[in-house]
Amino acid sequence: MSKLFKDEAIEEIIREKDHWKEKVDIVEKGSERVFETLSGLPVEPLYTPAHVADTDYLCDLGFPGQGPYVRGVHPTMYRGRTWTLRQLAGFGPPEETNKRYKFLLKEGATGINGVFDYPTLRGYDSTDPYARADAGRGGVAIDTLEDMSILFDGIPIETVSSSLVTCQPICNISVQSMYFANALARGVELSNLRGTSQNDFLMETAVTIAPELLPPKFSFKLSCDAIEYCTKHAPLWNPISFAGYNYREAGCTAIQEVALVIANAIACSEELIRRGLHIDSFAPRLSFFLSAHSDFFEEVAKYRAARRIWFRIMKERYKAENPRSLTFRFHVQTAGVALTAQQPLNNVPRAAYHALSAVLGGAQSVHIDAYDEALCNPTELSSLTALRNSQILQLETRVTHTIDPLGGSYFVETLTNQLEENILTFLERIDHIGGIIKAVESGWIHQEISNSAYEYQLAIESGKIPVVGVNCYQIEGEELPLELFDIPETLEIQEKKLRRIKRERNAGQVRHALDAIARCCDENGNLMEVMVDSVKAYVTEGEVSSVIKKSYGTWDPPLF
Amino acid sequence: MEESIRVVMARLGMDAHWRGSIIVARALRDAGMEVIYVGNQLPESIVEMAIQEDADVIGLSTLSGNHMILVPEVMRVLREREVEEKVVILGGTIRPDDIPKLKEAGVAEIFGPGTPLSKIIAFVCALK
Repeated sequence: MSKLFKDEAIEEIIREKDHWKEKVDIVEKGSERVFETLSGLPVEPLYTPAHVADTDYLCDLGFPGQGPYVRGVHPTMYRGRTWTLRQLAGFGPPEETNKRYKFLLKEGATGINGVFDYPTLRGYDSTDPYARADAGRGGVAIDTLEDMSILFDGIPIETVSSSLVTCQPICNISVQSMYFANALARGVELSNLRGTSQNDFLMETAVTIAPELLPPKFSFKLSCDAIEYCTKHAPLWNPISFAGYNYREAGCTAIQEVALVIANAIACSEELIRRGLHIDSFAPRLSFFLSAHSDFFEEVAKYRAARRIWFRIMKERYKAENPRSLTFRFHVQTAGVALTAQQPLNNVPRAAYHALSAVLGGAQSVHIDAYDEALCNPTELSSLTALRNSQILQLETRVTHTIDPLGGSYFVETLTNQLEENILTFLERIDHIGGIIKAVESGWIHQEISNSAYEYQLAIESGKIPVVGVNCYQIEGEELPLELFDIPETLEIQEKKLRRIKRERNAGQVRHALDAIARCCDENGNLMEVMVDSVKAYVTEGEVSSVIKKSYGTWDPPLF
Repeated sequence: MEESIRVVMARLGMDAHWRGSIIVARALRDAGMEVIYVGNQLPESIVEMAIQEDADVIGLSTLSGNHMILVPEVMRVLREREVEEKVVILGGTIRPDDIPKLKEAGVAEIFGPGTPLSKIIAFVCALK
């Protein structure tokens, strides 16, 4: 046992604290102010050693780079290597986004973080009647392998890692395959390719739902196909990034956010083990994506709790031995939902606080939101300011000099314990329903997220959650102090390219590729195995999705 | 008993954000209205559903930026189907310079990010 305090010391502290508390109670008596975290955990006026009297240092906290990794996943953390500066970018046709990538890399970004437009994320071509109004919006439009080669033209993909925000597995199966096929065409072996794809079935079926979805179990299957494929052929690639960030944006609390990513990772692990893989062959590449929201200390504690939970599940339930399997590695994006359209420059300090919580929580890579994100796609100036925000944090504040500086704070350790307990309770509820896929199919997840989102909004409405510029310190008749971004023309460019590609490509090869995909679906094979080859025939993303949906069918999500 | 206001609530095109539309739908329902939430739809089907459901109000939500294409489409289809009396309201990330254009196209009111639910409820209630 490595307990921190002697029993007698704790008893004395409790006695003295009771005396102190009497004075506080007199002042606070009758006050209606509620002190709690954003997810509703009570917050006491003061934390003392008594709150963490049961902590066994070596077992519950340990050292950085050692289980249970609460203090960090690497032995040296930011002293050895700081977080990756991975600013999200994507808009319009690939020709335009390529310029933005180059701009960000030139200004010191250390990784690509590419987001795709709504049609691409849902598996549609830009020219589909359903897609036309959204081509190039929310991300970059990708229809064929040619778009992928334009997107990464002149970018050293053999050295720079790329995060592909392929939220839905129906998108990932095509778009990741295009990225791989493009790398092969450029002479980069898959075994040397570094990057991450999002590839999260909850994104398809529970968070960003739209009509004509794949049924949850098939969306989940596609996600696992990509993990299995990468385990065998692209071992440096993170084939999934459980997108807690987006669950949070949709309305989850911090507790639900972590519980859902872990429930999802458990389901993937079960499935891959069922397919015959060893836990230590794929778990080292399971990665996570979390939000950094406004409750500073709760967020720090959330990341720490997630690491301990993941370590114990991997160690105890799955008997994982590879240290990488045991570490919860994550990317953070500062919470878009916490930004305001009102007085948008206030979003600069807001996002800086968010990012600080991610860094004090030990994030591996960070995206800081641009100040105009509640209004439009980021301009060059706003994305540069966001990048500089991260660089200031990294170079000027010296928060990188010691590891887990909030570790040992009575408050943060207590909150870490409380979050862990609540996350485990939520995980038990999902287990009780029969796992994450059943919880999606029944609509339970949708209801949970919707309830949390509604409660949060009502709390803003009542003023219980203050939001500067929205429910306090508003400016009447405010004039926007900034220029907004215009999405460059996209549909016309994509339409022209598609028309030419369809004319020039080899019809026999296209038919052969689509047949191979259909056959693989029917035979329940690993789709990624045929997809990396198939996209070389310049089949479009929409053509691929149609074939997949024809075989797997579609699902109407519970809407409300 | 007075008949309640009927609202068809849709997300435009492929917009992925459901938080706002679901919250507003719940708030209107809690305020006593009949809300039919139809998810992502194109203009033709939004108007068709509004006719089928005999809706008084069409609530549109989008954060993708597709509103300058799809909202005027909704208004055009409403005219074509001769149901212009249906009131169209819009919520989401709408650029300030788009607002006058959308109002001119016939949108009754636009609710941007940060709008209190009480304001939206009051606006819809006043229609009766």
